[in-house]
Amino acid sequence: MDSGFIALVTMYLIASVRMATPLILAGLGEAISEKAGILNIGVEAIMLSGAFFSFIVAFFTGNLFLGLLAGIMGGIFVSMIHGVLSIHCKANQTIAGLALNFMMMGLTSFLFLIVFGQTTTLPSCSVFSEVKIPLLSSIPIIGSALFNQNIFVYIALISIVLTAIFFYKTEWGINLHAVGEHPQAANSAGLNVFAIRYFACFVNGVLGGLGGASITLGQLGFFMENVTSGRGYIALVVVILGRRNPVGIFAAAMVIGFSQALQYNLQTLGFPIPTQVFSMFPYVVAVIVLFLSIGKSIDPSALGIPFERNKR
Amino acid sequence: MKQSGNVLSFLGIAILTLGISILLILMVGSNVNQAFFSFLSGIFGSFYSVSEVLVKAIPLILTGLGVAVGARSGFINIGAEGQLYMGAIAVTCMAFWLNDLPAILMIPLVILGGFVFGGVWSVIPGFLKARFGISEVITTLMFNYIAISIVGILVRTILKDPSSSLPMSAFLPDSATLPVFMSTTRLHAGLLVALISVVLVWILVWKTPIGYEMRAVGLNPRASKCSGISVYKNIVLSSLISGGLAGIAGVCEVSGLHHKLLEGISPGYGYIAIIVALLGKNHPLGVVISALGIAALQVGSLGMQRMAGVPTSISSIIMGVVVLLILARKSLFRRLLPDE
Repeated sequence: MDSGFIALVTMYLIASVRMATPLILAGLGEAISEKAGILNIGVEAIMLSGAFFSFIVAFFTGNLFLGLLAGIMGGIFVSMIHGVLSIHCKANQTIAGLALNFMMMGLTSFLFLIVFGQTTTLPSCSVFSEVKIPLLSSIPIIGSALFNQNIFVYIALISIVLTAIFFYKTEWGINLHAVGEHPQAANSAGLNVFAIRYFACFVNGVLGGLGGASITLGQLGFFMENVTSGRGYIALVVVILGRRNPVGIFAAAMVIGFSQALQYNLQTLGFPIPTQVFSMFPYVVAVIVLFLSIGKSIDPSALGIPFERNKR
Repeated sequence: MKQSGNVLSFLGIAILTLGISILLILMVGSNVNQAFFSFLSGIFGSFYSVSEVLVKAIPLILTGLGVAVGARSGFINIGAEGQLYMGAIAVTCMAFWLNDLPAILMIPLVILGGFVFGGVWSVIPGFLKARFGISEVITTLMFNYIAISIVGILVRTILKDPSSSLPMSAFLPDSATLPVFMSTTRLHAGLLVALISVVLVWILVWKTPIGYEMRAVGLNPRASKCSGISVYKNIVLSSLISGGLAGIAGVCEVSGLHHKLLEGISPGYGYIAIIVALLGKNHPLGVVISALGIAALQVGSLGMQRMAGVPTSISSIIMGVVVLLILARKSLFRRLLPDE
């Protein structure tokens, strides 16, 4: 292979990883939530909240780490509303998630207008800079894509490993599965179904908030109305494509990240293909994967169903 | 006691929503009285503003009706947005293809075409749910994005108006456009289409055996199966009707309002439709009322932004809050409501 090709591949890998990071974070959170039986369509709301609060705090304090923390809190806030509605109130989870999307979409742009008013130039803050990891970053091709990135990429990578260990190597992971597959049986076996589901919602909020913060504090350095522009919905697709498996989610997010990177690149190069061909790509692939997985039960059996202790 | 508790709980929701709205208006620093006055005059202030409410209500009635029909059989249709766009594609393609047909044939044909396109877009997730148990929530959501992308591709390629540099189709031939009621307004015959659909759906779902079976499947699929009602058939059928109605909404938007295909013809009508159906308790008449209410909320908030400086995003917040409160109603007002 000549060096020009390697440089091109490296460049695309770096861009893909950057695009994939918010999707990986939010996707992992949603996967944990779905494993416990809570289907949260409101990932978009969680990410928007994370993006908004992280930016506001980072802008006014000048401290990016405080911003990151605020993003996490913002994510938890939205996710716990969904949790209370679907666990305590036994509400329809899909509609709750959708309503949260409406509410946060309105609320973030409303608050943004109140704080900054109608401005022609968007207020901006600094972003997390890349941190080079010695040795690992000098691996050819993948080194600079994975190990010379900002803090969010590292958090995402660590989260993949931790989630995988949590899912498949710990008793907690088994409990989580049990609660999502058969809450009645889990309850009989002495597990606290409600507590485990709240825990899953909490983690979903943390990771989704981080995913939102990674957009404002990791990529853009500013906030605007609907800054997540549907990434929360793409994260839902990532979860389906990756079959709720952490490594699968990583792969799915990378595929989507690559198609997004390609999309921007072709746009700037002026190719005559409409960019929609590429933005459609992940969804078409996800539908094909769904068709291929017909017959194999992949959803947790209690997904979306509220648990009532005294009912069969 | 039971009835009054229910009424009180909804009254409580109304008061809470009003309180939150006042809080938001105060946060902007606007005068509450002025804001409410401008909200109301934004709706009822002129003949035109009232007609605008109806214009916005047309797609909401049709998509909301679609979601409600689906919900009656247990098919949660998040995909009305995509189905609306498929209907829009259908009407545009057919109008250019059959451009020499007279309006009397053309209009029914494009409505039928919109129904079929929207229906197909929804029957695939319906089939996947009924036959293989694949959750329709995610599939319909993905189909939205695919449909929107297809519109984006079409208006840049084969349907593009060569005389314009913008991504949009040429104007539809006159025979494919719905008449406007009064030339000073934008109110078009789509309103009639919507109201006729409401009546037809009401008859189908409440007055025929087919509708009875569909509702039975939604209430208890297992019991229906045991008494010989096909769950599969009814979910597929209701998903077809559900998407078809959303497709007709797309037809009305293109041939009644925009008269051409372009991106962004729907500012999320398909998602608001789910709220419309929820607030309307999945009943045709309820859907009409809640669609009018949400359309008025949106039009009124425009007036509020113009005259009192309150951002229109307040309407989105209010919609979200109302739905959240309704979902939490039974827990919030537990003391008022009888035990089930």
